[in-house]
Amino acid sequence: MSLELALRWTEILLGFAFVQQSLEHLKSHQNDRILFGLRLIFSVILMVGLQSQWVLLALVVISMLMLQRFQGPYNGGSDRMGLLILFCLTLAHFMPTLQLKELAFGYLGIQLVLSYFMAGWVKVVNPEWRRGQALQDVFAFSAYPVSLSLRGWAQRPQNLFYMSWAVMLFELVFPLTLLTQYSLYMGLGIAAAFHFSNACLFGLNRFFWVWIAAYPSIIWFQERFF
Amino acid sequence: MLGDLYGNRAWLILAFLIADVMRNTLKLVLPVIIPSWRFFDAIAPSPRIEYALLTDGEEAPIAWVELRPRPKTISFLTMLRRILWNPVWNETLFLVSCSERLLANPTQHSEDEIFDRVFADIALTDCLESTKCFVQFRLMSVHRELSDLVREETFRSAIRPLDKGGAA
Repeated sequence: MSLELALRWTEILLGFAFVQQSLEHLKSHQNDRILFGLRLIFSVILMVGLQSQWVLLALVVISMLMLQRFQGPYNGGSDRMGLLILFCLTLAHFMPTLQLKELAFGYLGIQLVLSYFMAGWVKVVNPEWRRGQALQDVFAFSAYPVSLSLRGWAQRPQNLFYMSWAVMLFELVFPLTLLTQYSLYMGLGIAAAFHFSNACLFGLNRFFWVWIAAYPSIIWFQERFF
Repeated sequence: MLGDLYGNRAWLILAFLIADVMRNTLKLVLPVIIPSWRFFDAIAPSPRIEYALLTDGEEAPIAWVELRPRPKTISFLTMLRRILWNPVWNETLFLVSCSERLLANPTQHSEDEIFDRVFADIALTDCLESTKCFVQFRLMSVHRELSDLVREETFRSAIRPLDKGGAA
């Protein structure tokens, strides 16, 4: 995948993720309609591919206003990843040389790998995660399970023990998927399924779309450097 | 001379304001550019928002109602639909963030955001017919102690009058 194609795919996927988020905001709270209405319009233009660098710059300005409006990201990690993709894309467009463009976009690819590896690392060094207790707590009392019946999963410690280790091992070995194109596609497929299940069980639908928007960067990165 | 003094003071205030906005923006942007990716590293006590309707601004709340309680079950089809369309739940997660911020570093912003949603939800449900027109909310933290789940009140808001139009 060429750099141009990877950038274009990232624009389309990020534009879609932003459209999805903006539509949700248009529904949920009337005070934010102007801000998210503007973001919706620019995101559609980004997907179409008109004047991408200026559209990206406009989206950066809107994102700054959103950070001020909510005094931080609205939806934690998913908004952070969305903004990171946006910043890297914008930088890649405005950088004067090919090497600097690659540096900006490569940073996104590296951060994507780190997003899995670091999430695995902070879990595996925690004895509660190694025992399966942490995942039991997620289902028992955290804010995330979308229904009361899902809280019942906390009563299945054996299953959650294996689930904990499956998640930690996958996240920790994710950097190794960069070794071949085939292994990377496999890894990204499993990762997407992981985000899909998080969207179903914990309602984290924004993570699903935003993380997929960063995948072209790592596919390009793998082809470029491995 | 006096004009110069006022002019210099105005520039100083402007420079101070710009520096403050830039410092605040940098504080918000830095975790985005250099993320930590520490998802679920530790399972912290989880806040629940409960509100009470009051007849006057001095009354002590008796009946607390959980804001946006979870449904008993959700069908797989609903889960699939929510992959594309999940505004209420995402707003609820934002309220969790506001609650955590209130406990870690209380700000008027977090309290206002929670009040806005409490007022909006009340307007949608049971208060428009009621004579009760003041609202207070509290945060109940849920955590595990050995094998038991423990709930304790960790924050109680001021009492605010409810605008019957739906927002205060």
